[in-house]
Amino acid sequence: MTENNENTDKADKNSLGGDLILPIAAFIFTLYYFYTIIDVPRIAQISAFFVGIILIFLIGLLAIRIGREVKAGTADLRLGGIIEPRSFIPKRLALLALTLGFIIFVQWLGFTLTVFTFLSLAMLLLGNGRNKGFVFAIAGILSFGGYLLFIVAFKTRFPAGPFEQLMERLF
Amino acid sequence: MEFDPALFIDLFARTFTFWWVILPAIFLGLIVGAIPGFSAANTIIILLPMTLAMDPEVGLIFMVALYASSRMGAGIPAILVNIPGTAGAAATPLDGYPMTKQGRGQQALAISFVSSVFGGLLATIITLLAMPWLSQVAFYLHSVEMIVIMLFGISLIATIAARDTLKGLIAGFFGLMIGYIGADVVYETPRGTFGFLELYDKVPLIPALVGLFAVSEAFFVIEGESILSKRGKEAMQKAGWAATIEGVKIALSKWWHIIWTSMIGLVIGVVPGAGAAIAAFVAYQQSRAFSKTPELYGTGHVEGLIAPESANNGVTSGTLVPLLVIGIPGGATAAIMLVVLQYHGVTMGPDLFMESPELAYGPFAAMAVTYFIMIFTILPLARYMSRITVVSTIYMSPIIISFTLVGAFVPRQYMFDMYLALVFGVIGYVARKTGYHTAAILIGVILGPLLETYFLRALKMSEGDIMVIFSKDLANVLWVGLVISLCIPYAMQRWRAWKAAA
Repeated sequence: MTENNENTDKADKNSLGGDLILPIAAFIFTLYYFYTIIDVPRIAQISAFFVGIILIFLIGLLAIRIGREVKAGTADLRLGGIIEPRSFIPKRLALLALTLGFIIFVQWLGFTLTVFTFLSLAMLLLGNGRNKGFVFAIAGILSFGGYLLFIVAFKTRFPAGPFEQLMERLF
Repeated sequence: MEFDPALFIDLFARTFTFWWVILPAIFLGLIVGAIPGFSAANTIIILLPMTLAMDPEVGLIFMVALYASSRMGAGIPAILVNIPGTAGAAATPLDGYPMTKQGRGQQALAISFVSSVFGGLLATIITLLAMPWLSQVAFYLHSVEMIVIMLFGISLIATIAARDTLKGLIAGFFGLMIGYIGADVVYETPRGTFGFLELYDKVPLIPALVGLFAVSEAFFVIEGESILSKRGKEAMQKAGWAATIEGVKIALSKWWHIIWTSMIGLVIGVVPGAGAAIAAFVAYQQSRAFSKTPELYGTGHVEGLIAPESANNGVTSGTLVPLLVIGIPGGATAAIMLVVLQYHGVTMGPDLFMESPELAYGPFAAMAVTYFIMIFTILPLARYMSRITVVSTIYMSPIIISFTLVGAFVPRQYMFDMYLALVFGVIGYVARKTGYHTAAILIGVILGPLLETYFLRALKMSEGDIMVIFSKDLANVLWVGLVISLCIPYAMQRWRAWKAAA
């Protein structure tokens, strides 16, 4: 019973922990930035200090506002909305890993093959493995269309892989 | 630079004969404008061998048509999938995207096209008539005034784009600090670069735009089956040609709104470096400030879509004024046009208007004709373009991620920029989930280097005295305006609370 009451109480409160992520990142970055300008001539420091100090002041105001809400019992510091809905966390992390893989492997596989592989895997991931044939067809059309638009038409110097090298030899 | 009606009539008639150059430039411009990373400037650079080989007049018409249509193209993905094609369209999704989610994407596109065309057309005609006076605007704005305008820009975005002003300001100033990364323009000292050589030349804008808007959006929308709400889907399925016609009617009924917001764009466009992003946000804020229903802004309000679209197209002709009158390009595309014309031995400045009026006034005639042709070519496409919104997020998200990351790579062709886009994607995702508006961060990143440059200039002139920022009358008036603009939302909130309690 007590546990139920605690859970209801938690659900009623605003979860403001997530709201502090960006300000904390901004605060740490600003301090790092200040550190990198210690030896710079004074004139070049002033504008950064001007903007940085205003930013720190604003972060301070937000911290005070959140602190007052937590003290008043209307909010807590759980992450809340940023991780909700929890059922999507694995998919989101997997999509992030695939995106990172896209950037890493494009250097060796080249544009067309990497886009095809990424599109196929990401669509299968998000669609829970359904419509495999359709997914591969869409990924094939889009990656080849992208090759024609970006590499053939716009002459973008994107990393060339086996597919681009083969096409260059053929045509 | 005197007004000669016969010259203008002849010029317009002559420009129409170049429809065969304008038409392909329009379609190319719409495509490159809609893909983040493929700006008009990049495309003109890619096509330089072609434009340099053309007759200067034909080359200029091609570049101007591509420039004007890319501005309109940037609004299309901003409305349909919440991804502005360029920074100039960063204010467009504020009301355009909510309209799409309600199933009114086709109508929103029609409103955007009409506002862009009439806003751009009107600004072009006014520019032609008022060139001598417009060219003076830039002379009144010096470093000190520009510092206040930049800070004004951040505070405006904080108050309009974010529901929580404090969070909006934090996002904007965080963006400014990110914009300060890189080597400073005077002493060339690297600051805040984390040791990455790729950041010495400042944070590149396209990866920031791609990350904050596209990548974060792709990670955000996978929670739903489609970006449309259930009612939006039903409305979308019912939509026919009537939705386009309705959009045109709605936009035309707001003709006064189109006029004054495009004028905001024109005046801001004349100031070198100010750009379409600032113009669009200022117009949006002004539109909301004078609206009888400001609470509807951000929910899919028509006037909230008209304002940024008219303004960012008004900027287009404005950026050409300093280029043609004093030889200072107002933006990247104008700078490339300068290079092409100089290659042909054309010297910019007042003499150009006497010696080659067809070249001096030609860009504006080309722009007006482009806008005129554009309305007939693009409006019928609204119905088909809006169909993209019914595509499931299962397919949409991976497509957005892969193709926009490619866009992040294109301008500088560094692999680093794709990683940077991913980092901005994470920042954008956290910002969306916690109520820090991504547009405020982006505008900070855009304004950061400009603010620092003006700061350094002002401080150099005053030998390091910070009080220089309060030394000019016009700047002081702007400071007062800035403080008032920050206090008004708070005062209004208190007043409403007091009224509700009474």
